[in-house]
Amino acid sequence: MAEQPLLWLTNISRHYGAIQALKGAKFEIGRGEVMGLVGENGAGKSTMVKIIGGFDTGFAGEYHYDDEIRNFSSPTAAEQCGIAIAQQELSLIPTMSVAENIFLAGDGVPRIASKGHLARKAGPFLEEVGLGHINPLRATNRLSVGEQHLVEVARLIAHNPQVLILDEPTAALGETDSIRILEMVKRLKERGKSVIYVSHRMDEIFKICDRITVLRDGESQQPRAAADMDVNSLVELMLGFELGDMYPKRHPIARDEPALEVRELWPDGILEPVSFQIYPGEILGLAGQLGSGTSEILGAMAGATKSRGGKLVYRGEEFLPARAKEAIRRGIAYCSEDRKRDGLFLGRPIMENMSAPALETISTSGILDGAKERRTTSENAIKFTVDPKRLPQEAGVLSGGNQQKVALGKWLSISPSVILVNEPTRGVDVGARAEIYQILRELADQGAAIIVASTDIQEITNLPDRIISFYRGIQIGELHLADMTSANILEQITDPFHEAGIAVSEKVS
Amino acid sequence: MSDTAAVSATGLNIIKRIRRDHSPVVIVMVGLFLVVLISGALITDDFLTWFNVKTIIRDAALVGIMAIGLTFVTLSGNFFLLSMKEIAALSIICFATLMGADWNQWGSAGGEVTTFGLLATFLVAFMITMLVATIAGAAQGALIGLGGNPIVVTLGAAGLFFGIGSWWSDNLVVSYRRPHGAEWLGTGSFFGDIPNITVAFIVIAVVAELVLRYTTFGRQVYLVGANRAAGRATGHENFGMAIKCCIIASVCAAFVAVAFSGQVSSAHVNYFSSEFGSSGDMTIMVIAIVMVGGNSIMGGYGSTLRTSLGAIFISTVDNMMVLNGFNSGARVLAVGLMIVFSIIVFALVRRGSRAVE
Repeated sequence: MAEQPLLWLTNISRHYGAIQALKGAKFEIGRGEVMGLVGENGAGKSTMVKIIGGFDTGFAGEYHYDDEIRNFSSPTAAEQCGIAIAQQELSLIPTMSVAENIFLAGDGVPRIASKGHLARKAGPFLEEVGLGHINPLRATNRLSVGEQHLVEVARLIAHNPQVLILDEPTAALGETDSIRILEMVKRLKERGKSVIYVSHRMDEIFKICDRITVLRDGESQQPRAAADMDVNSLVELMLGFELGDMYPKRHPIARDEPALEVRELWPDGILEPVSFQIYPGEILGLAGQLGSGTSEILGAMAGATKSRGGKLVYRGEEFLPARAKEAIRRGIAYCSEDRKRDGLFLGRPIMENMSAPALETISTSGILDGAKERRTTSENAIKFTVDPKRLPQEAGVLSGGNQQKVALGKWLSISPSVILVNEPTRGVDVGARAEIYQILRELADQGAAIIVASTDIQEITNLPDRIISFYRGIQIGELHLADMTSANILEQITDPFHEAGIAVSEKVS
Repeated sequence: MSDTAAVSATGLNIIKRIRRDHSPVVIVMVGLFLVVLISGALITDDFLTWFNVKTIIRDAALVGIMAIGLTFVTLSGNFFLLSMKEIAALSIICFATLMGADWNQWGSAGGEVTTFGLLATFLVAFMITMLVATIAGAAQGALIGLGGNPIVVTLGAAGLFFGIGSWWSDNLVVSYRRPHGAEWLGTGSFFGDIPNITVAFIVIAVVAELVLRYTTFGRQVYLVGANRAAGRATGHENFGMAIKCCIIASVCAAFVAVAFSGQVSSAHVNYFSSEFGSSGDMTIMVIAIVMVGGNSIMGGYGSTLRTSLGAIFISTVDNMMVLNGFNSGARVLAVGLMIVFSIIVFALVRRGSRAVE
């Protein structure tokens, strides 16, 4: 690059105790450029982001911005120089209005301002992030999660930043909201802003980034033009080796006797009762966007969500679990989409996490059998490629990918014959993702019936053997292997009634 | 030569490891604490005597047993029972009334009091008191398990229990004659000069720790406390857990009430509001012990061993201050400082021990 980049960091090192998060890494971004920042969990992405945003001051190396060496003492200092960062976790006050949230910092507005005045001032910023249709006086918690993320960005834009860092902005979003974010990034770029885009989603990276910086084990690769790369070469750079096909091979399935039949199940959040069957050895995909009702269906099957009615027919028995316990006893495992909420005991050792659902099997008359627990949890940990030496560590210290493996792996302890998984790879890096797919496929091949609900279009297209699609609480249709293309699925989950929304063709890369 | 080198190397390793694992703040604070304790021990006359050590542990026993019971509630993520002293008050009234009740005087028909008769009287009173405490605990646990806020539920229960006890006893001292069947627990000692209440404290502390470590129930306490939602998702409901833990805490409180009544051969609803520890208020003392032991208020982290050590620690400092002639105000202040101190140290230790990937 002939001209000097707007922001560049060289020889950045950062260690936390014994862990070296960054080893002499480099990063740069030019004016009006969208730079993708990718890497596996633990590769140093978040550390790099924190350093750029002024959150982390204990690093070694040079930080240049706008032709000067900088040493920001705090995020506020960085923000004043025009570097703004949108974190994964929202920092909005949910009960306040959109306009109030945008001017939360209190600068750029008079000390005393009426709500109407704030709303008028907020208008252009909302316009800019594509939320022009939203009334700025609405309470923030009445917006969708995606819209809230956009409000967060609008708040940052109000400070007129030169560099905007988006840290996995779409991790918790459905397809439609993700598209809004991507469109916003494009608009910002047109206005000459620089955007650092951190994401696990390969398709997004290629859609909007000009160049891509890959971090691996705390070391940076030379930034490359996105146009010169494809998904496979990028993944190879991230992992340091060739991954091959991320999605395991599907085998033909004999669908004779269903492992489980769902009859007229009617969970809250679903408009009409749903019925379907799942066969041993099969991975069934429930496709749908956020709010389509797929989470509620899985939850109701496992006794985690209330249901107005319906039955599960399973091993000659008709029942509906009212509590998780009743499903677990019958060998039905359920992994929710939010591992931190109800999937893991973060403060407890990994071993206790792995054995939690099956305490009865590792104890005799109320006394724990320590040797048996170590043996079975080690076996299950190995199956999920978690190092058994780490079993005594707290689950909270693990990276997202390893946490997800523990959250899933704990269910092996009950030898489940039906496994329900919601968002199996949310916030999980590419390597762990491939491992999780592989394990799910192996479990299916060993005879388990697996239902996966996912809003990730790549995943839902390539992992399951069969798909049932949902749209706003309605069961739309069933797709078999031959018809399972991203375009078909997207049509069914975003616009099945052709109500004219976003043109489907535009969304398929 | 090589031996000394090896020894000094390991010595260096320990220092290095402490410096690596813990922040300087923690090291300084713990160091400061040790200096205070050791210098206090050295300048205080009669502190390091066998008699005084026994006194310290005996003083720790009653509050310690109650705190061990409460630890189950805290570890299971159900915060605290703010009704600890009221459960004890109701129990002590119940126990003393039954000990003195005419229908409960066994084997004394001929005017001669037999050991068997005394014990029978004691056992009847003891069992009924424990039953009352179990019901009191289960009722609170059920309300908490159904989603009631532990603070609101147990404050309400505190008023209720105290009211019943006060009404029942007409707010008077209920006394019963010596000799009686609770003396062995209150003041007796089967093992040389070690009081039975001290033995009970040690036994309860050991059993509680074993239960937490090696039983399915103990594991469930930790899991439900660490993450209630994940507990439910893996088949461990807080409803049953809250009931069981509240029963344990209540029964421990009732046991302490019985032992104390055995000491003084009487009961009054205010015994646990004024007679205990430096601050006088049993509930506050018991919560202080759980906190000083370094148990997490949010649940899921800690142990009854920590609680037992917390009880002995507070008792030690209190004892040292008494021997040096500090008044009760200064001792309350010391307990307050210890709580703040331990919360800070344990929070820092825990943060320091966590290296996130």
